[in-house]
Amino acid sequence: MTPMTIAKHGLATAALTLGLLFAAPGARAEDTVTVNISMKDHRFQPAELHAPAGKAIVIVVKNLDSGPAEFESNTLRVEKVVTGGGTITLRIRPLEPGRYRFFDDFHPSTEGYLVVK
Amino acid sequence: MCFVRVARACSAAALMIAASSLAARAQSTSDVFREAESKYMFGFIDGADIGNEGEKAIEYEATGSFQKRGGRYMALEHEFAFEHVPTQNFSYELSAHALTHSISGVEDLDDRSSTQFSGASAKLRYLILGRGPGSPIGLTISAEPEWSRVDGTDGTAVQAYASEFKIVADTELIPNRLYAAINLMYEPEVAKPAETGMWERSSSAGVGLALAYRVTPTVAVGVAAEYDRAYDGLLFQTFQGHALFAGPNVQINITRKVLLAAAFMGQVAGHAVDDPRALDLTNFERYRANLKLEFEF
Repeated sequence: MTPMTIAKHGLATAALTLGLLFAAPGARAEDTVTVNISMKDHRFQPAELHAPAGKAIVIVVKNLDSGPAEFESNTLRVEKVVTGGGTITLRIRPLEPGRYRFFDDFHPSTEGYLVVK
Repeated sequence: MCFVRVARACSAAALMIAASSLAARAQSTSDVFREAESKYMFGFIDGADIGNEGEKAIEYEATGSFQKRGGRYMALEHEFAFEHVPTQNFSYELSAHALTHSISGVEDLDDRSSTQFSGASAKLRYLILGRGPGSPIGLTISAEPEWSRVDGTDGTAVQAYASEFKIVADTELIPNRLYAAINLMYEPEVAKPAETGMWERSSSAGVGLALAYRVTPTVAVGVAAEYDRAYDGLLFQTFQGHALFAGPNVQINITRKVLLAAAFMGQVAGHAVDDPRALDLTNFERYRANLKLEFEF
């Protein structure tokens, strides 16, 4: 096997990886649910969100405090800063049933759950 | 000499345990154990987590190889990396490498003392299964193509292209406390040493197993073992040797955005073809150590 062949195999692997990455079909509107949550006085309101299993989820986070926060979740696999008074939108893949914890990484005791059934 | 080696290995292990215990004392024990990222929890063995979408980090990693046959041997690779997680299933890492060699009186190697820019690499990780509600197992595949202009073993000039491919799985044996991981590895390489001008092909394969236990919410200690086989040829054509490594590791989350991980392994068994002596110090080193420092932003 020549170095050129190796390079071709490397490119093929990269193409496969990118293919896997972008192969997921775009979520149709009817397959998506939107849930809203706000942060006030370093608390999530409501502290528990609910969403159906198997549907893509859009979480809209409003920060009603003056300081910034960082919405983060290791099980939802997202993190994003939301400025004081700002709003962010997070798109979550379809989930299995369960309780998914999220928190404010700037104030780790501020936490809530997304309950998927 | 053997006693000295064992003493060094024990000292390194003792240092790691002491460091983790000091860090453990420094942390509040009232903290609750939450989900933890497993990526660097197992030392030389990868965890399946790839990070959260939106995460960016810079990272310094030093990997040392110590001791061959006779004399004094050290090869230290410095890696400076930028890491990004653009989606919930994919992350990439771009790295520049430098190599420091200090070789004196080693069998079959020329003496050398040098530090050189040695190449660049990328690491692509794709998360197939995320550990969490609905899946007790995390599963990731990764590819790490690398270009090198310096031979990692002897420090001489070379043009080399390699890629390490891994299948990584992990699980939580005790939720949020005790973790286990397994890695399957394959790395083909083509290299043209400046001295010969001839392309050479080689490959290695390995399997790694590791356990990690979180002694506090921010400190995990663990043990890992890795079995490696070296071959001539890209697809395991001619067996050259094998080695079994084992050793401890520790991960400390210094802050929520700064992570330190250290690992040490010693070769406990091995054999090189055409060498009747114990251990394979032709294809592998006697000891290896790794230090990672990650700053997330």
